[in-house]
This record gives sequence, structure tokens and C-alpha cells, in this order.
Amino acid sequence: MALLLSSFRSVFSVTCLWVRTGSPICPSLLTPLSPPGFSLVCAAGKKQLADLTELNEEELEEQFVRGTGPGGQATNKTNNCVVLKHIPTGIVVKCHQTRSVDINRKRARDILREKLDIEFKGKDSQVVKLKAESVLKKQEKKKKSRDNLERKKQFKRSLVTDSTEKNNIV
Amino acid sequence: LHFHFSWFCFVCQRRGQFHSLHTCSPPALPVGRITALQALEFWKKHFEESGVTEPDLSSHYIVAHSLGGKTVQQRKLTEFLSREKTEQIWKLCTKRLSRMPVQYVIQEWDFRDLTLTMRPPVFIPRPETEELVELVLTDLKNKPSSGDTVQTCLEVGCGSGAVSLSLLSSCPQLQVVALDRSQEAVELTKENASRLKLQDRIQIHHLDFMTEADEACSRCSPVSVLVSNPPYLFSDDVKTLEPEILRFEDPFALDGGSDGLTVIKQILTVAPKILSDRGGIYLEVDPRHPPLIQQWVEANVAELRYVETRPDINSRPRFCVLQKKQRELDVK
Repeated sequence: MALLLSSFRSVFSVTCLWVRTGSPICPSLLTPLSPPGFSLVCAAGKKQLADLTELNEEELEEQFVRGTGPGGQATNKTNNCVVLKHIPTGIVVKCHQTRSVDINRKRARDILREKLDIEFKGKDSQVVKLKAESVLKKQEKKKKSRDNLERKKQFKRSLVTDSTEKNNIV
Repeated sequence: LHFHFSWFCFVCQRRGQFHSLHTCSPPALPVGRITALQALEFWKKHFEESGVTEPDLSSHYIVAHSLGGKTVQQRKLTEFLSREKTEQIWKLCTKRLSRMPVQYVIQEWDFRDLTLTMRPPVFIPRPETEELVELVLTDLKNKPSSGDTVQTCLEVGCGSGAVSLSLLSSCPQLQVVALDRSQEAVELTKENASRLKLQDRIQIHHLDFMTEADEACSRCSPVSVLVSNPPYLFSDDVKTLEPEILRFEDPFALDGGSDGLTVIKQILTVAPKILSDRGGIYLEVDPRHPPLIQQWVEANVAELRYVETRPDINSRPRFCVLQKKQRELDVK
């Protein structure tokens, strides 16, 4: 299995290098306005993440583009994009969020776990449930503030009618 | 992206259409106000035209830094930049034109979860080396006594302090002794240690491990871990390095002699005198080194056992793990 994985890796790395010389294989570095698809990584705490299925490293293929050549001290590049592929499902996660490869690797795994959770559990997935909860909370909040506004308006109207009544009583 | 606003060129003192024909002078500042996106796009294009490597990333990281962040927030792209910010971006990007590494231009970079100050000519930590720290941490945590006892680690060639400070930050029981032959490296490590409030658990010494090994031994014996990312490039390969490295980084941090093993061999020779029994050695090396190191140790350093070779994130053999044999008990 390890042998298969390592040969798989070398095939994948050749592909990645070829792709790299063309358009960038990693999405823009820009921090988006709202992350594409709900991500627990920034929002939730560790407790919620722990409920997601653990990743099996044997099923993963990781690629970090450092170019050809020996790498290490011989190269100084700022590119630290990590590409993580889940072999059984073919799901690929790319992470370029931070300036540290190590942290990008960890985040890529967290994002992958969320995606797998959605993939396997569908509407029962933790991620989907939490998103639904969060949407519901927002709706409730909006309703509350609308109700409050309505109550205030009512109160003001009642004040006006009171005063006109008083004025009418001569 | 085309923008047709007029520029004032300081070289020819003319106001007119933008012209980039002055090859020996950096681009002039824009006259009117521009947005962060326009600055990004302008410099990305200018870097491309000037043959500067990683034009998009260079532009991105410099603009992000000028805006006070590590990456550019999407919502800031359409904001107009103040005069000050524009001048700062122009000044920093002009430095990048000379192929100064981005890390030196913005004077900082991240290593694992730490942000460190960077300054030429002190060696900039490479992403592979983050893995070296993981190896050491895993073993430290697996040690039976890890919970209570204070462990000491020696780092040979600390550079900016990335490895030592990363270990300290993740391991509260750890004390570190760090050495470097470069005065600038020693000072930068001290600066980073203070900034991260780790100065109480690290001692930093200005020593050359090649010529002052005895002095080094006297400052720290015995340690349970010896870690190093020593200069391991082959002298011939150093000549062909990219300008970012050749022009700005300390060659002593790179050149490991004709076979790249000069400093590595010294470290392994001296290690038994510094390490406690069963103490571990963790080295980052050139991918060609591991079998050579294993052979050499087996033939020349009886007190050490070659434990394993570990790959880096690109699956290249990159890390050598060795151990000091327990006296009289470990025969193989």
C-alpha cells in the first residue's frame, strides 16, 4: 500500500509541476468576504471539529509545490500552497491561507474533514446542521429586531394619539 | 487593467502618459490616488516585466504587509490608499526589484505558528524545516519523563531562531541552548526570543561549532536533543543559486563544503560529548546525504546509532535521526 502510495505520489507530483508552469494551481491568496461554503475552521471551536470523522493519512495524497531540484536551503520561495487529495473520493482541497506550510497543511486537513463530513452524512452532517443552526439564529435575531422596531413604532403612535386626545379635551 | 491617469516622473521631470522606459530608475509614484487592487496589479505586472520571480505573490505579500495584514482582505481591494501607504508600497516593491527576498523586504515571516523578524543576511527559514520541528516535538512528547522533567536542547546554527523558538513555544518544559557563528544571527535570535517572551528559556551564544566545539560543550552538556539545519549545500551548487539567495543571504549558512557534509560530520563527531545517553540528533540535510551519513556514522562514530531517514513534504529524503547509544547496553 505504501509502495502504491509513493508511486502515486510521484505521478501526482509530476502532474503538479507541469500544471504549475502554466496558470497558478492554487486559488488566490485573497481572504474572501465569506468563505466559499460554510467552514467550521474559523468559526467553531475544537470541540465541534472533534465530532467529525478522523482522517486516515494512508488515504491522502499531499502535494506542496517547491519546484524541481533539491529544495530546502537551495530555494527561497514564498509559495506555500498545500494541495491535499482524498484518494477514495477524489476530493481535493487547496490551502494557501497562511504564510506557514505547516499551518496550511493542518487547515487543509480540517477543511477536508468538513467536506468529507458533508459528503458522507449529507443532511445529517455536523457541518450542515451547524450551518442550519446558524442560519436559524440569524433569522430569529432579525425577527426579534423587527418586532422591537414595530413595538417602538406602536408606542410612538400611541403617544401621538394620547396628546391629540388631550388637546381635544378643552 | 489599464489606467490612464497621469504620472509625474522624477527622472525626466515630465508629467505625461505612464512610461516605463527608464530601466535604471524605479517606477514613479502615481499622481492621483489608487486602490489597493490597482497597486497589486501594477506591481505584479512590473515584477513580471522585470523578471522578478513570484511576481503575483511578491506583490500580494508586500501590499498586504503595508495594509497591516499577512494576506490581503478582499474587502480592502477597492479602498483607496493614502499617500503614505502608496509611498510605502512603492518603496518596498522597489526593494523587491533588486531581487531582495520578500521576507527581507517586509522584515518578517512566519514559521509554524510564530511570526519572526527577518533581516539580511540572516538565513530565512525554509518551509521544509517546519517538519524538522515536528519530528523533534513528537519524540519529546513520547519520552517517558516528558511530563515533569526539564529537558535541554542544543541547536547548532540557530539563524533567526526559528527552530529553537518554535520548540520552546510548543514545549513548556524545554530549555534551549542556541549557537551561531554569525553575530547578526545571534542578535536576531535574541530579538525574536524577547518579542515572543521566550528569552528566559533560551541561551544564545556566538560560537563557531567548527572551531569552538569544546567551548560549545562547556556551555550546555548534557542535552537530550541536538537539532540542526546546518549548511548542507555542495559548494559547486552554491554558485548556481537564485539571486534572492546569492545576493542577500549569508553564504556561511549555506555552504557545506565540496560534499555538503563538512559541518554535519563535525556535529556528529562532537555529539556524543554533548548528548546524554539515548539522546537524539535531528538533522536537516541534502536529499543525497542520508545513505552517506549512515555509512559514515557506522564507520566513524561508534557511540551513535543511525535510527532513520524521514522525508520532507515533497517526499525527498530530508531528515536524519540518530541516537547516542546507551553505554555498554546497546550493542547494535
